[in-house]
This record gives sequence, structure tokens and C-alpha cells, in this order.
Amino acid sequence: MSTAKKEGGCLFSEAQLQQIEKDFQDWFNNSLRDSDRQTEGAYFSHSGIPIKLIHTPADIKHLDYTRDIGLSGQPPFLRGVYPNMYRGRPFTVRQLAGLGAPEDCNLRIKYLLDHGATGVNILFDLPTIRGYDSTDPEAEGNVGACGAAVDSIWDMDAYFADIDLGTISTSIVTHLPSTSIVIPGMYFAVAEQRGIPWKNLAGTCQNDFIMETCVGSAPEMLWPRASFRLQCDVIEWICKNIPRWNPISFNGYNLREAGTDAVGEVAIAISNAIATADELIRRGMRIDDFAPRMSFFWDLHNDFFEEIAKCRASRKVWYKIISERYGAQNKKSLLMRFHVQTAGVTLPATEPLNNIARSAIQGLAAVLGGCQSLHIDSYDEAYSAPTEEAALISIRTQQIIQAETGVCNTVDPLAGSYYIEYLTDEMAERIAAYIKKIEEMGGLVEAVESGWLHREISNYNTAYQKKIESGEMPIAGVNFMRAEEDRTHDIEVFEYPETYTRQKAKMKRLKKERNQQKVKMHLKILREKCHSDENLYPYALEAVKNLCTLGEIEELFREEFGLWNFQLL
Amino acid sequence: MNRRIRVLMAKLGLDIHWRGVYLVSEFLKEAGMEVVYLGNSFPEQIVEAAIEEDADVVGLSTLSGNHMTLGPKVVKLLKEKGMGHVKVFMGGVMPPKDAVKLEAEHGIHKVYLPDTSMETIIEGIKSSMRDS
Repeated sequence: MSTAKKEGGCLFSEAQLQQIEKDFQDWFNNSLRDSDRQTEGAYFSHSGIPIKLIHTPADIKHLDYTRDIGLSGQPPFLRGVYPNMYRGRPFTVRQLAGLGAPEDCNLRIKYLLDHGATGVNILFDLPTIRGYDSTDPEAEGNVGACGAAVDSIWDMDAYFADIDLGTISTSIVTHLPSTSIVIPGMYFAVAEQRGIPWKNLAGTCQNDFIMETCVGSAPEMLWPRASFRLQCDVIEWICKNIPRWNPISFNGYNLREAGTDAVGEVAIAISNAIATADELIRRGMRIDDFAPRMSFFWDLHNDFFEEIAKCRASRKVWYKIISERYGAQNKKSLLMRFHVQTAGVTLPATEPLNNIARSAIQGLAAVLGGCQSLHIDSYDEAYSAPTEEAALISIRTQQIIQAETGVCNTVDPLAGSYYIEYLTDEMAERIAAYIKKIEEMGGLVEAVESGWLHREISNYNTAYQKKIESGEMPIAGVNFMRAEEDRTHDIEVFEYPETYTRQKAKMKRLKKERNQQKVKMHLKILREKCHSDENLYPYALEAVKNLCTLGEIEELFREEFGLWNFQLL
Repeated sequence: MNRRIRVLMAKLGLDIHWRGVYLVSEFLKEAGMEVVYLGNSFPEQIVEAAIEEDADVVGLSTLSGNHMTLGPKVVKLLKEKGMGHVKVFMGGVMPPKDAVKLEAEHGIHKVYLPDTSMETIIEGIKSSMRDS
């Protein structure tokens, strides 16, 4: 793809390069076997970048060190967002916590914090994620499974009982804009009640319209443009009111898990950031008002070097866009900061303990790629949300990488590898080309409404699965060196069947104790404002403070914005 | 009778993971079956659609913990509506002991856990038709 090679090249002199290329040809012709020469051209990275038997300076001769690679904390930030990287601050060990009722999660959060986690990452059950109360008929079977049930501000208070909101960093995994306008508001309101100033709150909410409309399927789904509007409302309001909060995590992760390659993952997330920046500027904000608070979320999959190259390339692509196109001045705007989760989709149920090895390798790639925070998936991924034992192994794996291997002692240790620099450069070009393709479709919101992204995901998945079926993509113990006998485990999963009963009782009490007049009034105001240009956040926050439930607010959005009936098949 | 096998595929309840159900649907189509994908739905809607589509097989996908509550309900409702001949398959993420229970006690014809090859699923459906 990198046909138009750039001018420059201070890494090697012309004379040196000529010698290197000549030596390479001699070596290729004389030192290799016929079979080696014949298979040259048959190796590709996961996303399709050609891989040579050996890489040399000739593959990166067009790169200029100062312009294209440089130092950490300096443009183009390829080598890392901060000059001192992990010597200054180790990556945040951020493990997920959420199952059952908020009271159960509270214990799990305390357990993780006691064992060295430095940030928490809170998960919700599907009714909460999709905006239904625990008592809604649609919620049947899913209350408290895969995450905690949160119906009202009372639940958020219980989730964080006896935890100082002013000192921790909390990632609220809300996924959808329509719930990000409600659930983080519960957190902010709880802090307010406890007398903690909003300026002390640190954290992230996910808030990504791609999650709402493409990544997850649902019985009822908002239109992409409505979801996108809410996404921008959340960012605008939080930037103005909660200065240390990241109001969006452009979520490449779940998109990748749903089905894209590494190029698509980064390109689509950045395209969302572009659409968002354009909209917020249209609303009168300046790029430096919000860009410093934008963060990204990557999936670290199996192709070790490509994934490291992806992390490095993503920083460079972002820097170019934010500086050249938007003219950002604040240095923080230029930095692509990202959280990483290892790839759940790569973790089979067969011989699950092997997943500890897979996840450790993916986690290592994340650290070599310069992530800001990390979640390492647990070995029981294909069975349930992690058990306590499995979650602890994930934390320990992070600590092993951080404290025992020495990889954090120097910044971007793989820089200068001919292969890594070649891959990084290729990734950057391919990501930029993919972003351009989306722009030619009219931008990401248009592209999504046309059904393009669903087709893209579907095609990728079919091809991926065929590679597994044919054995072209080997998975140890599954389609490669599979054992004769059944090697699935029976893992004892956490179950909280009583969650539903508890939430139901709480809901009954809530509805009895709250001021019905106020509830009605705030829902009515919010409903009316849906049809105005005003930012909906303050109205949703008032509703939350007055004990309106998540489901009541979401139902209102579904009614006022209408449903997108996208046919997948 | 030599008609194509008619399969109704659905995601159970609020489960958001559509990758698996989409893939299985595509591979079943490629294997010559007629596939209708209902999207996210609840037992009552699934059974209604199974009647309307005259399905031979219902395939339920779930990765989010509602398998024990919603899965058996589909089987029960099918029987009540006189559709007891319809074979119900499930696929997704769940503890293996639940899969055993669903097959042994709740009338699910077969549960496919992660790592199952598409070939196994296709064969499983075809042979269930031969048995009946």
C-alpha cells in the first residue's frame, strides 16, 4: 500500500542503503532454499500486511527519524504520549468488576482495590446497558448476569458504599450514549450528596454510538443520528462540568470483538472522533475544549507485532489529524491516550487454563505498545464473567509484566526494529486510507445508517470463521493439536439469582418514597427537550436526582427519538 | 418429503452479541437450509414466528446468562402450541453443566458451546431431521 514513499531518510546513507539492498539480493538468491524463495510473498499479518522472511533497513528507508519516529512525548507521539512513560507512572491496572446487585459489586471493588488495582471498571447487566429497569418484562433472565443491575441513584450509592469517590479513578462501562447521559450522572449526583466536589472526580464513561447501533444487537435500538446526538451532549456537558472526566472512550475494542481487523478497529474509532469533533465545533466549542478529554479503547489480539504496531501507529495518525486538520494547540489534545483490553474473542472454552498464556502475551503487547491502562481477560472468559480466582490471576499477570519482566524500564523498547517500524508505517497508512474511505461515504454517521458497517463486520466474520474451520488460523488445543478427550472444564460461576428479588423490592420502595409530582415534572421537561437543540444532560441529571429510574428515562428516549429497525439478515 | 430444512434463528432476550448467531445463520444457508433470522426476541415472539414460518428447527443464541430462564420457556411454549415436533438448539456461552441440564431436563435438543465447528452444527441439525 505504501507506494508513495516520502522524501527524507536520515536513518541510513544512500551508500549504506545500496550495500544493504545488494547484500539482501545476494542472500536471497544464494543463502535461501528454493522452498523459502517460493513461499516469499505468502505471509501476511492478520490485517493483510505482507511480511517478508527477513526485514532490513531497506524496508524503512523512506522514514525520517525526527519527523516520523522521534522521541516519547514529542510529535508525532509514535513512541508514547509521555516523555517518561512507565517510569513516570505505571499503566493503570484496571480490572472489570460487576455481577449481581450493586451491593455484591461493592465487595468485589473493595477486593480488587485491596489487591493492588488502581482503578475500577464497573460493569452492568444487559437490562442496565440497554436501558431497562430490573422489573421490566424485557429484563427477564438477565438481571444481575454479566454485570450489576443499576436502576436508580440508590443503586449507584450502594455500588460505591464506603469508597472514596474523590481518590479513585472509575471507568463506568455504559457502552451507549443513551445510558451515558444517565448512569454517570448518578455517579456525579452521589458525589455531590457526599460533599465531594466534581472537580475531584476522575474516570471515564464509554458513550459510543457505534456500540449502540452496530456492535451490539438489541430488540429496540435508537437511530444512529439520535444516538450520536446524545453522545455529543454527554461530551459537551461533562467537558464543561467534570474537568477530570473522560466523557467518551472511542471504543475500537468491542467493534473488533464484533468483527473487524486492527485497521478497521482504529480507523472507525478515529472516524467517530472526527465526526464528534466536527459536531462539537459546530456547537461552538473549540477543539482544545474537548480533545484533551477524548480517550480510546483498543483490543489487543493475537498477532503480537501487528498489535504493537497498531498502538504506535494510532498515536501518530491521531496526532496528524488533530494538529493538521483541527489546529489543536493544547499539547494534551495531541495525545492519543488509550485503555487496552486483551481479546476475549481469542479465548476458547477448550483447555481454558491456556488462556492465561494467551492473555499474558496480549497484555505484554499492550505494554510494549504504550497503553495507559490495561485489563487482562481472565481464563474463564468463554464461561462467564470472571470468578474471583480468575480475576486475581489477571491482576497478577499485569503485576508480573509491570514489576518482574523489566519491560517498563525503557520507553518503546521495540522502536528501531526494521519489522516493527515497517509494520507501524504500513498500519498508519492503512488506517488513514480507511478513514478517508469513510469520509467519502459522508462520514461515519451516514456510513452506519446506510448499513455499510454491519456488512463490513459480517463479511469479516465469515472470512475469519472460515479460516478457523479450515485450520488456516490455528488455535492450540482447538483446531491445532487437539486432544482426543473433551478438555472443557466445569467452572464454578458466580450466580446471583436473588438479584432480581432484591432489585424488585428496592424498586417498590423507591416508587413509594419518591415525590411523584417531581418525577412527572422532570420526565416531562426531558421529553420536551428531546425536540429542542438544547443539551439534554442537565435535564437527565435533574431527573436522576429526583429518583426517576434509568428505564423511565430510556423509555422516553425510545418514544421520542423512534426506533431504528435495521435488518441484519 | 424432500423440502429444505427451515430454521428460525433468534437472539434470546437482551443479549447483544450477534457475531455467533449471524455466522451460524450464514453457514446454515450455505449448507442449503432456509434460514430466517428474527433478531433479538423473547420466547412468545419466537414461538409465534416458528408457527408462522413453519420452522423445523429453532436456533437460540445467548451469551449473557439468560439461557436457563428463557431457553426452557421456548420449548414449553412450543409444546403448548402444538409445535412439539420443532427441534430447539441453543448456542453460546454458558457453564457446561447448564448445557447438560438444558438437554437432559428441559427438552433442548442440543446445546453447542464455544469452539464447536460449523460442520458439527450443520450435521447436528441434519441428523435431528433424520431421527424424526
